[in-house]
Amino acid sequence: MVKGEWLNYKFVILVLLVLACLMLSLYFAYYRGETGVYTHVFYIPLILAGVWYKRKAVYLAILLGVTHVFTALLFIHPIPAELPVETLERTGMFVAVAYIIGLVSDKRAKVEEEIIKERDKSQKILSTISETIFIIDRDLRVLELSKPELKAGIESEEGIPGIYRRIPMSRIIKREEIIGEKCYKGFWGKEKVCDDCPIHSIFETGAGARRVRSFVLADGSVMHLDVEYVPIFDEEGNVVRVIGDMRDITEEKRMEDRLKRAEEQLRETKDYLDNIIESSADAIAVVDMNGIVRDWNRSAEVIMGYSAEEVIGTSNRKFFVKPEEADRIMEIVLRDGELKNYRVIVQRKDGKAVHISMSAALLKDRNGVPIGTVRVSRDITKEVELEEKIKEERDNLNLILNSMPDGVYIVSKDYKVEFMNKILIDEFGNQVGNICYKAFHNREEPCPLCKNERVMNGETVRWEWHSRRMRRTYDLIETPLRNIDGSISKLTIFRDITERKRMEDELRETCKKLEELDKMKSDFLNVAYHEMRSPLAPIVGYASLLERCELPERGRKYIYNIEKCGRQLEKMINRMLELARIDGKKIELKLSEFTVREAVKEVVKSLEPEARAKKQTIHTIIPEIVIQADKQKVVAIFSNLVSNAIKYTPEGGRIDIMAEDEGANIRVCVADTGIGIPEEHLPKIFERFYMVDTSLTRKSGSLGLGLSIVKEYVKLHGGRVWATSEVGKGSQFFFKMPKRQKEV
Amino acid sequence: MVEKKRVLIVEDAAYMREMLEEMLLQEGDRYEVVGFATNGEEAVAKYRELKPDIVTMDLVMEVMDGIQAIKEIKKYDPAARILAITALGTPEYRDKALEAGADEYLWKPFTIKNLLDVLEKLFKRDD
Repeated sequence: MVKGEWLNYKFVILVLLVLACLMLSLYFAYYRGETGVYTHVFYIPLILAGVWYKRKAVYLAILLGVTHVFTALLFIHPIPAELPVETLERTGMFVAVAYIIGLVSDKRAKVEEEIIKERDKSQKILSTISETIFIIDRDLRVLELSKPELKAGIESEEGIPGIYRRIPMSRIIKREEIIGEKCYKGFWGKEKVCDDCPIHSIFETGAGARRVRSFVLADGSVMHLDVEYVPIFDEEGNVVRVIGDMRDITEEKRMEDRLKRAEEQLRETKDYLDNIIESSADAIAVVDMNGIVRDWNRSAEVIMGYSAEEVIGTSNRKFFVKPEEADRIMEIVLRDGELKNYRVIVQRKDGKAVHISMSAALLKDRNGVPIGTVRVSRDITKEVELEEKIKEERDNLNLILNSMPDGVYIVSKDYKVEFMNKILIDEFGNQVGNICYKAFHNREEPCPLCKNERVMNGETVRWEWHSRRMRRTYDLIETPLRNIDGSISKLTIFRDITERKRMEDELRETCKKLEELDKMKSDFLNVAYHEMRSPLAPIVGYASLLERCELPERGRKYIYNIEKCGRQLEKMINRMLELARIDGKKIELKLSEFTVREAVKEVVKSLEPEARAKKQTIHTIIPEIVIQADKQKVVAIFSNLVSNAIKYTPEGGRIDIMAEDEGANIRVCVADTGIGIPEEHLPKIFERFYMVDTSLTRKSGSLGLGLSIVKEYVKLHGGRVWATSEVGKGSQFFFKMPKRQKEV
Repeated sequence: MVEKKRVLIVEDAAYMREMLEEMLLQEGDRYEVVGFATNGEEAVAKYRELKPDIVTMDLVMEVMDGIQAIKEIKKYDPAARILAITALGTPEYRDKALEAGADEYLWKPFTIKNLLDVLEKLFKRDD
């Protein structure tokens, strides 16, 4: 019993009844002197107290009993002998009755309390669960609703899922209002049964049903209710009621929609990403923490030669030429969270090694736990090969520079040594980074002869430097070197030419002497020529005069021979002089244009008598070829060749002169049917003074100078001369020279 | 009767002077040797004195060489007709002589025919 509430009607009734009982007890005791049956009246408050106050009624019983005993003992005189016993007995009865009644009502109260508690609990549970439960009978009347009130709207008339008529009509359904109302009106605000009402079929079949109802609320939002209808059966198995379990699924629906949209977006994003991944030129692979490949794009297929089907689900170790690289990559990604441009060699399916540059990132799940790595790789085989080539070339270059006997160094604009090759390092020590004039010349200022400024202006300077201190001469080439950053350095290559210089000086001295000697020789030759020819003049001249005198036939013959030999001697002297001249100085060509035919004609005309004397025939096959050459020398070439042919061809032989136009060149052949030249002599016949036959039995009349003149003249025209021959059958002399001389 | 061509022979060797004269006289009345000179100086002097139609000029001589003599004569008489005759073989000397003013050039050794031909050529050119 709650404190402070004790003064209620039960208590007042009890007090009044107790007072009445006491009055009754006093009355009978005082006026009648008896205790009588009125004491039964005492049971009324006692029973009431027992019901109301449970076992506490015992106290009231004791109070009543004691009061009864005392009133009886005080007011009855004399006290009958049996009175105390009688009153005590009655008191005992009071207590016993009160106790029993109190005990019983206590038990009942407890049970009741339990029931109330249970009910409260259920009520609490019911009101706390979001679902609203209602009960309907066969007539679609609402019998119960678990919530005191309910937010609802009016169901859209045009119930196409997803589209609702926007008539905002929200209302509150009150428990007391809805009970007894038809469900379609009470809940859904309709005038007739829902089209899809499940109730009838539930009553008939006993199978539950489920419906979703949607409303547009006043604020324009849509409310969705999921209603589950469950039948309640009686003992005979007939459906008597239907319980409706109504759940607000608006939030769920919204979440679901949102989820669906998010999923769609995710799918779009994924498709997009997949596209990117698939179309990426880089190989992209996803590898889990166990090194198992989980994803593999097109480029990965191309670069590695493995298809995605082959690879996904297998270990990635097999790709690496060194399988431990797989562990190393995982280690780095785990340590740093990423991997950047890691170079590694992988092996294609076909066994070919491919250099790749790999970047990787760690993939984590929502809780930050690593679940794998995504790896982007690029085929850099070509780059690596190029790099290797460059490196190799650089090494080669260094090797070349270092094995060069020349000094090579590079200095910057501000005279800082940037490079020295080995030979310089060996001599000066490594001075890279130091100032050149200090390091190499022990000076405080740039050398007076320094070419740095000129070279920096883009000039390449070649000069000779003579060090008086070291008594050595150097040849220096200094050239600008453009650096990658655009600045210019000076590259110097220098060579110790002291020895060469000395030799050059000696050579110059020798040359001078030789020139003097040559002058002396040529002077001598001129004099000798003059002095040899001068006596010939009267021999030939007087012989020609004598011919005109009257002489006997014999005399005439003598004179003829004198003249002939004189001419022969003249010819030989001329040849010797010509060769000496060729030898001494270079001869200038007197160029003119003429046809080969006219040159040959001239020669044939002058030599024909000689040939006729030996009964030889000369045939010429010369096409119309205009050449630009020194006519006198070309005539001399033909003349020497043809007179040789006549000389070495027996009587009755044949000589052919042929020329051929070869475009830029002419090719000429003089062939004879003469004695021929043994093969071993062929390479030498164009040498000066060379004679095939030097024996005393040789055919006289030749100094072996003719062919060497031919060779010199052809050479002067930029051509060459050669011969073929067969002993006893004849020889063919060829020469070939350009049709036009290059302008000087 | 055609007038004889008057010839001055310049030669340091006596046998050559004789031979040249002999050769010219072979043509009978065509040529007339009007004088001889044995060096350049003499030649120039004789030319002034004799005014010959033609001079045969040796190039290598003492005192004054033939080239110099040709120049001097040509200076005195640009119309002078001079035939250079020499044993010097190189074309440079021929060019030098022609440059100096010689009208023709004859190489030693030569036959009578060579000499007469070249002289005829010279006079024909004039006529």
